[in-house]
Amino acid sequence: MKLGEDCSLSFQMWAEKYRPKTLVEMVDQKEIVERLRSFVGSRNVPHCIFAGPPGTGKTTAALCLARDLYGAAYREYIMELNASDERGINVVRETVKTFARVRSIGEIPFKVMVLDEADNMTSDAQQALRRTMERYTETCRFILIANYSGKIIEPIQSRCAPFRFTYLPREEQDRHLRLIAEKEKLNLLDDGLDAIFEVCGGDLRKAINTLQAAASLNKPIDAKAVYSIAGKAHPADVRKMIETAMGGNFSEARKQLRVMIQKYGVAGSDIIRQIHTEIFRSAVPEPWKIKLADIAGEIDYRLVEGADEEVQLSALLARLVEAGYELKETI
Amino acid sequence: MYAAWTIKHKPKSLKDIVGNKEAIRKFVDWVKSWGRDSPKRKAAFLYGPPGIGKTITVEAVANDFHMELVEKNASDYRTEDAIKHFAGLASQYGSLFGGKRIILLDELDGLTGTADRGGVKATIEVVKMAHCPVVLIANNAYNPRFSTLRKYCILIEFKKPPAGAVMKHLKRICLLEGIQAEENALKFIAQRSEGDVRSAVNDLQALAQGKKRLTYEDVSWLGYRDRQETIFTVLKMIIYSKTCEGAKKAVRMADVDLDMLFQWIYENVPAHLTDPHDLANAMYALSMADVYRGRIRRTRDWSFMRYIIDFMTAGVAMARVNTKPSGWIPFKFPQRIRMLSRSKTERAMQLSIGYKIKRRSHVSAIRASKEILPYLRIIFKNNAEMAAGLAKWLDLDLRMVEYLAGSNKKSKDIIELLS
Repeated sequence: MKLGEDCSLSFQMWAEKYRPKTLVEMVDQKEIVERLRSFVGSRNVPHCIFAGPPGTGKTTAALCLARDLYGAAYREYIMELNASDERGINVVRETVKTFARVRSIGEIPFKVMVLDEADNMTSDAQQALRRTMERYTETCRFILIANYSGKIIEPIQSRCAPFRFTYLPREEQDRHLRLIAEKEKLNLLDDGLDAIFEVCGGDLRKAINTLQAAASLNKPIDAKAVYSIAGKAHPADVRKMIETAMGGNFSEARKQLRVMIQKYGVAGSDIIRQIHTEIFRSAVPEPWKIKLADIAGEIDYRLVEGADEEVQLSALLARLVEAGYELKETI
Repeated sequence: MYAAWTIKHKPKSLKDIVGNKEAIRKFVDWVKSWGRDSPKRKAAFLYGPPGIGKTITVEAVANDFHMELVEKNASDYRTEDAIKHFAGLASQYGSLFGGKRIILLDELDGLTGTADRGGVKATIEVVKMAHCPVVLIANNAYNPRFSTLRKYCILIEFKKPPAGAVMKHLKRICLLEGIQAEENALKFIAQRSEGDVRSAVNDLQALAQGKKRLTYEDVSWLGYRDRQETIFTVLKMIIYSKTCEGAKKAVRMADVDLDMLFQWIYENVPAHLTDPHDLANAMYALSMADVYRGRIRRTRDWSFMRYIIDFMTAGVAMARVNTKPSGWIPFKFPQRIRMLSRSKTERAMQLSIGYKIKRRSHVSAIRASKEILPYLRIIFKNNAEMAAGLAKWLDLDLRMVEYLAGSNKKSKDIIELLS
């Protein structure tokens, strides 16, 4: 049985519901939008890389571009593939090729392939992709979306027009959130907006998800509501873990780390970034700060290489225990 | 001074030998076939695993048939010269005293390498010239080195006697030594020997000599003697070793694979290295071991394995500088693995919800399960109406709704709205 077949209720995720449909609706990223609109005007699109942090409109820009280019039936001309879910070389060989080589019928002689989270593709798959891009340029244009363009191999980068997306400025994010609040008839308070920006820092998807979760509480959305949502959504309390470690309880700190990684799926790189920030705020002796930063950097690099997150971060936690001990000794 | 029981109680006669009845009959028939003329095959090649009575059978035959046994080990006739001298003996029809002679070339497996070049060839010469039975013994007759030699021989295979037969032999020895042995004690020794009668007799002597009674208790510890050490002993050796070599050696004794051993060490280091400096250094060594594991993965070059072992054993042991010994601390099963297996179903559920989200929102399933699912969870806990709407929009199934709502009551509210 399908759930809710006869049910009239319908709620979408607001991040989808309020996703801009055309380039002019895009939130901020003005220069990028200008260039993309000029592609639409000339009915031609080069291969592109959209790089930038999450929630800044990369996927939206690709979808808007397609819609502006092909009109309402744009779905027939684009294919969206997510490299995180299908990042192997076989996907490139089979799916991408099959799509890329078939000429489209219509006014515009090429189709658009959107490869989302392309920085998660293996380098083998990227090599295969590079040849496919070259061979089928006539019939297919690629838009590669990535958080870090550095993870895209050089030969692909050199074939693509680069677009760098940046975090949304505060006023743009606020404007968009206010718009949603108005349409959904929410009581969004100013300090609530402050808090959302503090928590989400220009990641619009995260901001909208936070707003929707806060709205589900059926109370005015103030700072308190927002912080409680943020705390529940990401119970990864890195600061608490650092305190536990510096207090000398390694085993407990490691347990907290394990829960973060295994239960809440927090990425090791996020944890280490927060630890790095905390190091310089902490009270450890000055020489220890740079020593810890050195270790954090080394461990960060190992994580990029694909080492075991828990084992590596535990090594860092053990150093924090050591630093905490030194701190007590000096007082 | 005690004599070795393997010699003291060596069967003198064929009737005392346990097992291999078939092989012995075949061998005796062949020896008997030596009359005035030599049989077609002048040598018998007895082969089989060690300690099951090959040599003893030949000796017992010589004894029972009153033959002179001329015995040489491979180590005695390595050179061609030595063998030629030996061949002289073999070529004579009988001994000085008119009796028959039987020639035994034992431990043929020992003829190895270039140093023994010619040894096998010379052995063939001995067999060719022989005018009396020549017996060859090796563990493996099918070694390619013996391929020519085999053509001149009748092959007789000796097999491991069953535990019951070994036990019978042990019982006989106990009787002769005046030891009262419990049945299951002897059974234990016999089974453990896996058909190697010689090692069973050695074990019996080690355990029972000088005793009037042999109980099961007396022998049961034998099981631990050379079996792979238990994980606790291994961990103790690694974490408390004073030398690198000692810590590294422990890996060979572990009966778990290297990854699992790593998890055991990783779990237990903090409780046993309590000094903060020691702990930090030990954890750093473990992280290095992990780095090499990654390097193997990337390069597919397994020779890096040795560095994993270095860091996870010696690296940990050498980190131990300031920690003072503090009595007995138990070793714990890796909690990480316990938690991983517990959360496996949960992660699968999260990912399946992630795929539902992906269908609607241009995000990978993995990212959705990590970044969007937490917000859904809050909504499903707080707002049945919005949850129901989203459940419909995302096409979630009953189990997914229950998972996100977290409690029966809340999921019931949501499901009611949906029906």
